[in-house]
Amino acid sequence: MSDSLNSSDKKELWKSLQDYNNDPESLKFKHNEFLEEVTEKFDPEKISGISRRKFLALLSASAALTATACTNYRNKGEIIPYNNRPEEVFPGTANYYASTCNGCGQACGILIKTREGRPIKIDGNPDHPINQGKICAKGQAGILNLYDPERLHNPLYNSKIVSWKKIDDEIIPSLNETLTNGNEIAVVTGLITSPTTKKVLDDFVVKYPNTKIYSHTLLNDEQRRNAWYECYGTYDYPAVKFDEANIILALDADFLGNEGNYIENMRKYAAKREVVGKTDFNRLYVAEGRMSTTGMMADYRISLSPTKQYQFVMTLINELIKNGSAFSLDASARSKVEKFQSSFLNSSEKEKISHLINDLNANRGKAIIYAGDTLPKEVHISVNLLNEVLGNIELYDYSSASKSLVKQSTQQEVSKLVDSMKNGKVGVVVQFDCNPVFSLPEDYGYLSALKKVKTVISLTEAENESSAAGNYTLPINHPFESWGDANVRSGVYSLQQPVISPIFNTRQKESILLTWISGDSNSYQENFYHQYLMNNFNATIYTKKNPLADTKTFWYSALNDGVVLFNELSQRAKFNLNAFSASKEISSVTDYTVHLTESYFIGDGKFSNNGWLQETPHPVSKVTWDNYASISPKLAKQLSVEMNDVVEVKVNGKSLTLPVLVQPGVDHNTINIEFGYGRTVVGNVGKDIGFNAITLMSKNYSSSPFIYENVSIKKVNGTHKLASTQEHHSLDDTFVKDIHRTRKIIQEGTVEKYKKESNFLHEGKEKLFSITNEHQYTGHKWAMAIDLNKCTSCGGCVTACNVENNVPVVGKDQVLNGREMQWMRIDRYYSGTPDEPIISNQPMLCQHCDNAPCENVCPVNATNHSPDGLNQMVYNRCVGTRYCSNNCPYKVRRFNFFNFRDHFADAYYENDLTSLVHNPEVTVRSRGVMEKCTFCVQRIMEARSNAIRDGKELKGTDVVTACQQACPTTAITFGDANDPDSLVSKLREHDLSYHVLEELNVKPNVTYIAKLRNTHHSQEIL
Amino acid sequence: MKRTVLDYALKIRLPLTLFVVVVSFMLTFYISRPERDSVGYAPEQPIKFSHKLHAGQMTIDCQYCHIGVAKERHAIIPSVNICMNCHTVARKDKPEIIKLTRYYETGVPIPWKRIYKVPEYAYFNHSVHVNKQIDCVSCHGNVKEMEVVKEVKPFTMTACLDCHRNPHDNLPYLQKVNIGPENCSACHR
Repeated sequence: MSDSLNSSDKKELWKSLQDYNNDPESLKFKHNEFLEEVTEKFDPEKISGISRRKFLALLSASAALTATACTNYRNKGEIIPYNNRPEEVFPGTANYYASTCNGCGQACGILIKTREGRPIKIDGNPDHPINQGKICAKGQAGILNLYDPERLHNPLYNSKIVSWKKIDDEIIPSLNETLTNGNEIAVVTGLITSPTTKKVLDDFVVKYPNTKIYSHTLLNDEQRRNAWYECYGTYDYPAVKFDEANIILALDADFLGNEGNYIENMRKYAAKREVVGKTDFNRLYVAEGRMSTTGMMADYRISLSPTKQYQFVMTLINELIKNGSAFSLDASARSKVEKFQSSFLNSSEKEKISHLINDLNANRGKAIIYAGDTLPKEVHISVNLLNEVLGNIELYDYSSASKSLVKQSTQQEVSKLVDSMKNGKVGVVVQFDCNPVFSLPEDYGYLSALKKVKTVISLTEAENESSAAGNYTLPINHPFESWGDANVRSGVYSLQQPVISPIFNTRQKESILLTWISGDSNSYQENFYHQYLMNNFNATIYTKKNPLADTKTFWYSALNDGVVLFNELSQRAKFNLNAFSASKEISSVTDYTVHLTESYFIGDGKFSNNGWLQETPHPVSKVTWDNYASISPKLAKQLSVEMNDVVEVKVNGKSLTLPVLVQPGVDHNTINIEFGYGRTVVGNVGKDIGFNAITLMSKNYSSSPFIYENVSIKKVNGTHKLASTQEHHSLDDTFVKDIHRTRKIIQEGTVEKYKKESNFLHEGKEKLFSITNEHQYTGHKWAMAIDLNKCTSCGGCVTACNVENNVPVVGKDQVLNGREMQWMRIDRYYSGTPDEPIISNQPMLCQHCDNAPCENVCPVNATNHSPDGLNQMVYNRCVGTRYCSNNCPYKVRRFNFFNFRDHFADAYYENDLTSLVHNPEVTVRSRGVMEKCTFCVQRIMEARSNAIRDGKELKGTDVVTACQQACPTTAITFGDANDPDSLVSKLREHDLSYHVLEELNVKPNVTYIAKLRNTHHSQEIL
Repeated sequence: MKRTVLDYALKIRLPLTLFVVVVSFMLTFYISRPERDSVGYAPEQPIKFSHKLHAGQMTIDCQYCHIGVAKERHAIIPSVNICMNCHTVARKDKPEIIKLTRYYETGVPIPWKRIYKVPEYAYFNHSVHVNKQIDCVSCHGNVKEMEVVKEVKPFTMTACLDCHRNPHDNLPYLQKVNIGPENCSACHR
């Protein structure tokens, strides 16, 4: 320290004004390093009486005291009964309400199971004549959308919350304004299945005559419908009686996968795949470019590019008219057909094609040809002619025609709308529960035209691409909160009723329109549409049916049944040959073709935000959470790409970069991509999942909006990992090739062989013996049988199991780690060659082995056996050693590596709302425990307690497992193996029954019925 | 041989301490057991409803109010409208009934204190037991004598299994009774 400082010395560096002025106080601070008090002698008397230790002791003691004093550990909370209990609601007992599914355009009848007023499960309505108690994966998992936390909670104007009143007050004048200035009101809708919604739209047009209604659905049956119109003069095409056909030829038609009412189709198809009592099989030929669910089921599969389908059909007609025709062709039609000389008959598939032609000839009148929705109209017209030539009149069900309430808008109509929007001729656009920005091909320019419209109103459940481009976003009720009806098949009218009051500040979509129709924002009432629906029901259905009951009774009985049936037989019209003669010819192309098809589970993108559906493995590729370009092994070799490599697909200047999946069996020139993926404005689950294949679509397609020729495909840098639940090993790998057959996981035969020697499967098998005394099951013994003849791998059982058993969504990253939690999976095995694979499907779940290997290795006895043959899992005992999973030969045990509800997407599904979807009958498992199929023990126990209550004997048929209930083909049978009269014990004794890995002698209780292929030869496959 | 401090510590001090610790632990464990199983728990209810009066003196059947007991899983706590079947007329002027009427009229459900609770992962079903002719008294005690309802028996897995294993000893009034299921999934799913 310098003492020589004086006041005259001005410093260059100073800390404060005192410092600068050399204030004596400041100098003092500088001299003394410590403050005065600090250096004083320590005097314990002076400090506080409470030392640190004492303080901490007091703190903990008081905390402990508070804890014991304030919590009454005996307090079990409160039990709150109803004030006035509704008669039908009983705590702990489920109620079922009949309703109608809105998942797709098929409007299947459903039963909604509710517990204490909240819907928890969807099943098919057994009274509904079309789906008959079954419902697909989409319909079942749709319940998760009800509890989606990202549904819109309030009406929005430019993303700001506003009241409904204000919205109506603003919109009604702007609607009226268009009336005065002559602008158009465009109402864009999706597929309309409800006659009453159509009536509301008609009323809207009456009130605002400048309104035009547009309907657009991404995947539609317009090609089929238009072809039917040209051939028979009606848009309503009849259902096909697949259950009466001996021969079915599917042309790129996934009628067992996702076309038409596939639930109905599957049931009818499986009716001729019955092995109990009779063996009257149909024979399924499939000619397709992609590999579809239907293709997997084929007895003969011809791989054929979709552009060659026309040529193929014409060749068939040409071959078949040589042996006569049920329909007489005139000279011009004949010459048109005869041009197609049989180039196919000399192709590599000639053996299959000659079988096909022979079969068609031999089964005239009983051989249906069915073309896919994505094929051009011209193919459908030719197929109609082919069916006429074969005389397949009896195979059409004219009493059950598919109706079209609102016609799809044509390409010209939509283009015209976009033009008027651009020219400012459209004052208001109402997007009525649809997503045209996503689903219309980009070259319409809909999105940019939408920005020119002053008022864009979107009625939607959750924010989507279209609502984001508009200014008014009005939240609508989920179908389970809505009234409604449907009439998509002649003679079948079904009702939809709400089963829960609206969770958010939403309104029924029709009520919103009704408010605008009334022109008064104060006129809205909650039961607006309910009343309207009842009035319309009384005016149309009641008068049509003319029952003895009064209107109210009839309404309630219709609501109870969910469906009203009446006779509505349409007459078969004569085939109009001119339609065929006038239809343009489609030349086949030899270059690459893109074939766009709808996703099996997320539909046209509607279910993008549904984790259960995103995680359901694709029926063929087993890929979850993604779409991809499905290409043949030959093309993959040519491009030198493998699975997960990225390619660029270019069509008419549009390109899409996406990963490839090498799919055995795909036609070499066909690139199959599923659309519905690649949503950008969607909730957290579906955002940026997959690639938007709609970018490849164009309004100027050559023959079908789903098929594009002149495609270039090339490898680009990078990889994109596809999360598949089953590994894709090479079919050429000698080590794993056909391991499922050599290890007898898959055992198959042919119908011929089975007819000759029914016991062929068990010949030469060793009898297994046990070295220990077997446990005797004296009471019930639960068992399952799965008929592989009927399983189409649709995934309905997997979803049903997810919903019933509270199976969590794990997310793509965890699927990549092999940690998917589904209790049930459908294994898919390839045999044969990569070009002509033979595919075998096998649902795999816990086999509930009598000698279960998992039980012996559990150190804490968390898995053990019940006296009725169940392999039980006790979550509270499980310490998570995972020994059981290691020792399970079937690999059906699932381990909770995380609390998956909390782990997935920042606890997306861990919230008060989504928890409502849980089945209260099944424990929600947390991290660190093993879980697996329980044979739906909660249903067994419910049936048991009902039997005790009613004083009856419990029968095996009283228990229906979730997967069994969902299976559209009744491939799954469950019951009591100790009851000799039960179907399951008959199936266990069936000649075709086998157990997977039976040589291990673990004695599984899931019996598989070997698949029989209906081929022309009797030698065993492979 | 001279005794060292170590000898004292090992032979007397240590065993003595261990003995005291073990005995006091065991005593506390067993004595506090019913307390921990909340036997004797009789909380004050929002309405001083007397089972002794209703079920005992007036001999109203249990199932008049607990309507679910023979049909469903839950016996159910009666909804207020059941009380009002009688009390729209009976004893309308008593303070507790006035309280009850107020609950009914305002539509507020009564927050009864819960006395019996099995954990969420145990699925108990009343109808199965009642339809096997098991008396309410066997588990819930003689409620007819209770002014304030209290828990008289522990509702633990041990208690359940004890009866499932030895139904004859526990339910002597039943001539024909099978042993109850003992497997895990009988109660846990």
